[in-house]
Amino acid sequence: MNAPRIPARDVAMPLLTRVMTDTMDEDYAYIAGRRAGQPTDSAANSTVRRPISLALAMVLALFGALLITAAIQTHRNKPGAERERAALVAQIHAGSAIVDRLRARTSNMQSEIQDLRDAVLRSTDRGQALDQHLQRLGVITGTAPVTGSGVQVTVDDAADSASGGKVLDVDLQVLVNGLWAVGAEAISINGHRLTTLTAIRVAGEAITVNYSPLTPPYVIDAIGNPDTMPADFLDTPAGQTWQELQANYGLQFSMVPADSLDLPGRTDVTLDFAQPGGGGS
Amino acid sequence: MIAAIGLVIGIALGLIFEPSVPVGMQPYLPIAVVAALDAVFGGLRAFLDGIFDDKVFVISFVSNVSIAALIVYLGDQLGVGGQLSTGVIVVLGIRIFSNVAAIRRHVFHA
Repeated sequence: MNAPRIPARDVAMPLLTRVMTDTMDEDYAYIAGRRAGQPTDSAANSTVRRPISLALAMVLALFGALLITAAIQTHRNKPGAERERAALVAQIHAGSAIVDRLRARTSNMQSEIQDLRDAVLRSTDRGQALDQHLQRLGVITGTAPVTGSGVQVTVDDAADSASGGKVLDVDLQVLVNGLWAVGAEAISINGHRLTTLTAIRVAGEAITVNYSPLTPPYVIDAIGNPDTMPADFLDTPAGQTWQELQANYGLQFSMVPADSLDLPGRTDVTLDFAQPGGGGS
Repeated sequence: MIAAIGLVIGIALGLIFEPSVPVGMQPYLPIAVVAALDAVFGGLRAFLDGIFDDKVFVISFVSNVSIAALIVYLGDQLGVGGQLSTGVIVVLGIRIFSNVAAIRRHVFHA
């Protein structure tokens, strides 16, 4: 019978080796082998070769044109892409400028409302009591500006940005929870007061508080007892988490007591659905 | 000789007319160019090996370019266009490098 069949070359040779070794079209070798096998007379050969040479020139012309076209196309597209990017950036800047303006206007109007309300309330005794009540509620809920002693916490991404970590929204959440736990009475992050409706979350690349994107470093002002808060904070799980973050990811963290901190109120708080409930206490 | 003239004419035509590529074909042009480069270097190596053949070159050029573009087009339709074009570029790139190495051996006898 037959000798054991040797697997075909395609099967035996690993794909990558094959790609590396058979780099030329096999047809060249095939045609050359066939021509060597049955040499044609040179006259017939030259008559056959003439139109092919023209085709060769045409193909090479096509190659040149392709090459140049691709190069030109790439160069032409580049400024277009950059222009588009610049236009988008400009749009973003314009959009955030509008948002800032509207926000400023809202807060102006809110404080105007507050002033008017205060003026009306102060005119009567009962109104004055109501006004004080409102002020107290505003301090508690975070809608009224507050001032007092406390601690100022500054956290930032790792100094060595290549290997180090970035501050995440969960890190800030843990930090803020820890501050509440050690008796903070009012907290703001980069001038954004935390209220009952505040979310600290990531949107895209940035951490947002009250829907405003923040840029590092994050400065957290917390009003409370400046003497006990720093030490107490280290004992909380949040403090331990942040020690680990400093040790493992190189995040920067500093907590200094402050005699007087001014925290703004968050003025753009509106409730659309919640109504005072009848039940409970 | 005729090959060099053809190449120069092609480059000149491309520079003069600056043809704009239809948007639908733009993703396939770079792949086609790389495939064409592969065919050209393969042809050059065959020429230096003394086994060059016009007909084979023309056919390998046309088929290389159209198959490369077709593969990427198919990939786009199947949702793996990016990966397929990476694969095509890798294989053609390896071939180009090996061919250039062979050409170098011919030219410098080293």
